[in-house]
Amino acid sequence: MRSLVVVALLVLLATSASAQQKKTKKGIVWDNRPSIVFGKNINLEVRMKLQLDWRHFDPPINRDTFDFRSLRLGLKGQMTKHFDYEIEREVDTTKWQAGAWKDVYVDWNTYKELSVEGGRFKIPFSMEQLTGPTDTDFAYRSLASSIIAPGRDKGGMAHGRFFGRGLTYEAGLFNSDGDNGKLTQPQFVPAGQPIPDVGPTFAARVTGTALRGLPVPTTLKSLRLGAAYTNGELPEGLNSLRGTSVFGKKYFSPVYVKGRRQRLGTEVEWTPGPIGLKAEWMQAREDRLQQGNRNEDLSDFVSTGWYTSGTWVITGEKKDSSLNPKKPLFRGGIGAIEVGARYDELAFGSASQSGQAYTNPRADHLLPNSDQVWTFGVNWFPNRWVRLVGNGIHETFEDPKRSPTTGVTSYWTALFRLQVVF
Amino acid sequence: MVVLLAGPAAAQTSDDLFNPDVLQRVDLWLNSKDWDKLKQNFQENDYYPADFVWNGQTVRNVGIRSRGLGSRSTTKPGLRVDFDRYATDQTFLNLKSLVLDNLTQDASGIKETATMRFFARLGIPASRETHTRLYVNGQYSGLYALIEAVDKTMLARVFGKIGDDTQNDGYLYEYKYQLGFPWRFDYLGASLDPYKVYFDAKTHEDKSDAKKWGPIEELNRLANDTPAASFEQTINPRLDLTAYIRYMSAQNFVAENDGFLGYDGMNNFYFYRLENSDQHVFIAWDEDNAFLSPEFLTNTRHDENVLMRKTMALDKFRSMYYGMLSEAAVSAGEVAAGQANGWLRREMERQLDMIAVAMATDTVKPYSNADHAAAREAMLNFAAARISYVQCDVAKQTGQTKPAGCQ
Repeated sequence: MRSLVVVALLVLLATSASAQQKKTKKGIVWDNRPSIVFGKNINLEVRMKLQLDWRHFDPPINRDTFDFRSLRLGLKGQMTKHFDYEIEREVDTTKWQAGAWKDVYVDWNTYKELSVEGGRFKIPFSMEQLTGPTDTDFAYRSLASSIIAPGRDKGGMAHGRFFGRGLTYEAGLFNSDGDNGKLTQPQFVPAGQPIPDVGPTFAARVTGTALRGLPVPTTLKSLRLGAAYTNGELPEGLNSLRGTSVFGKKYFSPVYVKGRRQRLGTEVEWTPGPIGLKAEWMQAREDRLQQGNRNEDLSDFVSTGWYTSGTWVITGEKKDSSLNPKKPLFRGGIGAIEVGARYDELAFGSASQSGQAYTNPRADHLLPNSDQVWTFGVNWFPNRWVRLVGNGIHETFEDPKRSPTTGVTSYWTALFRLQVVF
Repeated sequence: MVVLLAGPAAAQTSDDLFNPDVLQRVDLWLNSKDWDKLKQNFQENDYYPADFVWNGQTVRNVGIRSRGLGSRSTTKPGLRVDFDRYATDQTFLNLKSLVLDNLTQDASGIKETATMRFFARLGIPASRETHTRLYVNGQYSGLYALIEAVDKTMLARVFGKIGDDTQNDGYLYEYKYQLGFPWRFDYLGASLDPYKVYFDAKTHEDKSDAKKWGPIEELNRLANDTPAASFEQTINPRLDLTAYIRYMSAQNFVAENDGFLGYDGMNNFYFYRLENSDQHVFIAWDEDNAFLSPEFLTNTRHDENVLMRKTMALDKFRSMYYGMLSEAAVSAGEVAAGQANGWLRREMERQLDMIAVAMATDTVKPYSNADHAAAREAMLNFAAARISYVQCDVAKQTGQTKPAGCQ
């Protein structure tokens, strides 16, 4: 398999030197990826995303050093100028069979002020979660946008934009509460009755370039602010959000919840030239009605996370769109090189801070725990399809008794990723 | 950390909690869903949070779980209570944990508690125990024995101090009986794996396997390989043979059929390697199969168990065993001024009277009140009959003159 990947990589590197065909003709064309053009605004693109990771852990944490992180195949395109569509599915590389569905949606976008999307796609919450896994600045998303943000779900959503992209909105209703918030533990239901699911969830997000119309330096006008909110029903059970480290090690076990799960998120992004600065803060609050030792209501379970990151494309490409090397490798350049750093943190606890704190899933005052993560990264884009990622990741856990290895709070990971996308 | 105490905070100690003269009342409050789940999954060791209330004092968020082997029950679960399960430093009356024994295998309700009191009287490391009415979410949930857990707190109480250091930081193991694999101290081999299975480490869990189980393998090997001539010299530094013989004689006196010399191999004990020492001692545990019969042979299964057979092969320890058995009989029969019966009979009668109402109103026990009445009579008849039998049999085994009345 690895040799196959290397061959694919070499082919793509060579392809970068070849001429690119445009969508102007019908039939099978190469438009940065294999495409079938049926006519004006009717086309089908074949997509592939591949990520292979090699990792080194210090201290070891019982994780494989090689990780076939992801292989996704998909179709994306237009059906007339009114509809876009996408179908994407993960390949289960442990069994080499079809894996989980990713995006499966149709988007009616006749009017840019009001579009309607239906199917399975990401619930609009968290700028980083809404960024595709092959476009994120670092190998892994921050913990907050991986765990608090809901991810994909089936549903319908209205969205649109005004003043170019000066003001955008998304608002929708979803079947449950996203892949990240799905229930994994048994529910309390009488024998023979169906197991309830979380949801439905309402979600809305607004972003805007607040300084766009103001007399400020041009570089400031790309500053984008945003806010998002979700609200969903949560059935009774041991099914709160839970703390897992960057590499999936548990550091905060789920607690009993019942009622509503609400999320609030804020975001800011500023991309002056080759610089990219981003930050997000988000919080989830989950009701714990009648979940106490005496069936009493407990204070909300609170998950709070944030990150701030900075990146610099040292080869000078602009950061405000998908990074595309000006001078690809073998075409007169070395591609694009980007460096960056991010600090992120995700903490869990209870709204109540009074009295003794406990770790049990029915405590009113929960003993908090958090994971603080530094990520240092280098991205090399030899061409538009290939990206090589080097990340150094340092995790620190607040509670030594609830860290991946009891008593050890500090962990380093070195990661190298090969990514191929078309 | 100071335990959260609600209500009157009288200056009470764990001695008050385990006061054998008092039938206690313990309340557990836990989410009704959790109580249903615990009873449904009574074979699992899953913990559930609960509030523990005793004598007006509340300990919030303790951890409770179903416990036991043959005694596990869905209607009347035996429970382990860990005060520090969800807050590392939380204790109650300086206790980290205790056990609520459901008494499901003993219709008399006092085999365990009477035995442990008798053992303590004989100087054998044993838990403090009494009885309690257990209320769960305000509902009477049956008569239980309230048992001091074998943990560092108990070790400190039993073994005291060495200089300024409390003797409680050694290596403690709970013996894990393996159904279908009875073990009688035959050598298990050099691999530590079987020792890991039989001896569940309760302290120093993070230490290496060699540190935890290496000394047990060594003791097992040496006990099997060492000839009689050097047995005491070799084994005693690794196992307190005098304490071992005392424990064996006491278990035999109470006719314990499921103890170290149990009917299906060794069972029901803790094993402790003393702090800063290579020497091990036994700690009594779970004696609710005692009082099998007054005619329980004084040499029952001595030859089956390697350790017992080789120890008893030495005249010194054989004499010691029968001497201690005689002492146990004397202790059991000790008559206080103004009393007609010996200590053991009086203690049994006192405990039976103390629990009578609580037992009669326990509707979840797996036996009837008539069964209890019969068991009560059997217990009360046991003491005197056992004393006579042991005195006669010891004389027979040691060649001494038989007391009057012996056959």
